[in-house]
Amino acid sequence: MAVAEQPISVPTPAKKQQVSQSYWSLVWWKFKRNRAALVGGILLASMYISFVFIPEFLAPYALETTSEYLEAPPTKLHFVDADGKFSLQPFVYGMERKIDVKTRSRTYVEDTSRKYPVSLFVPGDPYKLLGFIPTDIHLYGVDRKGDPAAIVLIMGSDALGRDWFTRVLYGGRLSLLIGLIGQVLTIVFGTVLGVMSGFYGGAIDQVIQRTTEFLSAFPEIPLFMALAAAIPQYWSQLTVYFMLTVILSFVRWGGLARQVRGLILSSREREYVLAAKSAGASDSRIMFRHLLPSTMSHVIVIATLAIPGMILAETALSWLGLGIRPPLTSWGTLLQDAATVRAIHNSPWELWTVPFILLTILAYNLLGDGLRDALDPYGAR
Amino acid sequence: MSETKYEPLLEVKNLRVEFDVRAGVVKAVDGLTMTINRGKTLGVIGESGCGKSVTARAILNMIPKPGKITQGEIIYHRRRTKDGQAQIDDILDLTKTDPDGTTIRSIRGGEIGMIFQEPMSSLTPVYTAGAHINEAVSLHHLTPVRKVGDQLAEQVMAHRKVTQQEARVIAIDMLRRVGIPKPDERVDNYPHQLSGGQRQRVMIAVALSCEPAMLIADEPTTALDVSIEAQILDIMRELQESANMAIMFITHNLGVIASMADEIVVMYMGKVVERGKVLEIFKDPKHPYTQALLRSIPKLGNKTTRGERLASIAGMTPDPFNLPTGCVFHPRCPMFMAGKCDRITPSWKEVSKDHYASCLLYEEV
Repeated sequence: MAVAEQPISVPTPAKKQQVSQSYWSLVWWKFKRNRAALVGGILLASMYISFVFIPEFLAPYALETTSEYLEAPPTKLHFVDADGKFSLQPFVYGMERKIDVKTRSRTYVEDTSRKYPVSLFVPGDPYKLLGFIPTDIHLYGVDRKGDPAAIVLIMGSDALGRDWFTRVLYGGRLSLLIGLIGQVLTIVFGTVLGVMSGFYGGAIDQVIQRTTEFLSAFPEIPLFMALAAAIPQYWSQLTVYFMLTVILSFVRWGGLARQVRGLILSSREREYVLAAKSAGASDSRIMFRHLLPSTMSHVIVIATLAIPGMILAETALSWLGLGIRPPLTSWGTLLQDAATVRAIHNSPWELWTVPFILLTILAYNLLGDGLRDALDPYGAR
Repeated sequence: MSETKYEPLLEVKNLRVEFDVRAGVVKAVDGLTMTINRGKTLGVIGESGCGKSVTARAILNMIPKPGKITQGEIIYHRRRTKDGQAQIDDILDLTKTDPDGTTIRSIRGGEIGMIFQEPMSSLTPVYTAGAHINEAVSLHHLTPVRKVGDQLAEQVMAHRKVTQQEARVIAIDMLRRVGIPKPDERVDNYPHQLSGGQRQRVMIAVALSCEPAMLIADEPTTALDVSIEAQILDIMRELQESANMAIMFITHNLGVIASMADEIVVMYMGKVVERGKVLEIFKDPKHPYTQALLRSIPKLGNKTTRGERLASIAGMTPDPFNLPTGCVFHPRCPMFMAGKCDRITPSWKEVSKDHYASCLLYEEV
């Protein structure tokens, strides 16, 4: 025995000894070492918070607020005024519209005589925060009470004079949610049908697998078009939106169902399935309580990586005019606005939607990749 | 066959299970007849692939896909207490029940429990991720975090109306009864946190938690080392005595069967070749196959056999698609009688009291 020369720290007996790390703490431990995935996750979380929950607060105006500044370029933020005076608070100048009679084009010039400071937490259009807190405070803006002509358009405005940044924020709500809701529906369809397909085999398997093959062999856009065209015109916008979500997930559950089926095929021969059966468990209990949980880490990864496709599909459909239609605003309808040569020529700032879409998809892919590595914490690095 | 003090619980009569596979039809069990008595242990021994496990599965009407019970019946003397008091005796042919129906499901686990060959993988591994998402997916299912205790709790709930707390108390109590140390902590462990022996005990606890009238133990100790095996066997004997439970003990370990069983059934290629009381079989085996099996047990410290090779049964088990004619054992039988054994299928013969063998040696042909 070694002589205790140095003080030996007696480990204080833990009240409840943790025998081993739980699965999720291992997952988290591995996930947080992956910087890119962490960035993707944080990016997505902030996007969902800002676009889904609080766009009313972040946007300086309400979605319907129009102005007289049609197709105005982004207003420049100034810190130094015409006299060379510096102020820490940024300000914008008033805009003067000029119409070139020859080319019939609008141009805007800054009117340096009118100066509007841009401040944080300014009162503006009233709204209900999170749907129930009535307020009129917006994150940033100019005081319009003093001069109604004051306006700040950090991403310009559209042909109706609406703030483009406001529209991007509100459009993000529908686009991001359609990806999420659609993916949830896809998981439901995909896992239920996949588990049944793998567990029962035989005729049920055949029907489900041939259906997925049929759906995946069908060209996607015409299929979307046919299904979207079947939505009655007189339905309310919200119903159309949810029908679209259902259509998107209806077309896309096949891949997930196949993967789940494959996993179930290998695990249904395990002894614990037999044990569960001999204990009197019903088929559905075996399928959904004993088999399905083992596929979940897989499903999470597939689903995360499939959400961007869902968002893009919505965008593409709306861009084609088959998905969400104005006055609902989604990134797809915003792209549709910017789709003409005229729009690109006259108001290129309307392409501001694109980086948001790209960023979302990039973030999802980073997160999905990170999850794929992290959810197998016992696997090789 | 059964004396008055032996009260039959399960009578298997002339059971035949066939597997219709691409290469032909395999008779996994052919004309099996046996009786399992209340509170007694029936040992089933035989080589791998002789139909022991298939018989066990047939009793629970759980024959895997291409297999089918083509003949015979399994009479289950069901005894249920209704409203706490009255005993309802009820005779049920298990082969006639719907394999997915509620009747057989309430018998499985509730009245006939089963322990499996592979204790290590017989517990559903834990996927808390799944438990969470599952909840979202299957909205109506309550999904508790699936821990060892919950597997017990789940089974208790399937057969008795008890609350979650009661189920937990029962789970802890069962774990204590099967000799798991610190059961109130172990109840929250995941299968991977338990040792093999503990997992097997949990399996036994699962099987016994509904106090079944019968336990089918399909090579329950094959995967365990001998010291754990001895403990498990002790636990099973104790629980059998306290609950008057019948056990059908399937094994190819003759030593284990000698210490556990009251009666023994020896199977070969889907057929019962000999059955009788355990002492009779071990002292005076009648069928050449049983004799050969017993000879193949290595004996320690026996001077007469020192230096000899361990006896084995000559030849290989026959191709199940082309079973030999006559007695299926005849190509390997040391007592083969040409012209008889390869032509005539032996019938049952009571060689001594309650001791039956199926061999032409004891028949006059």
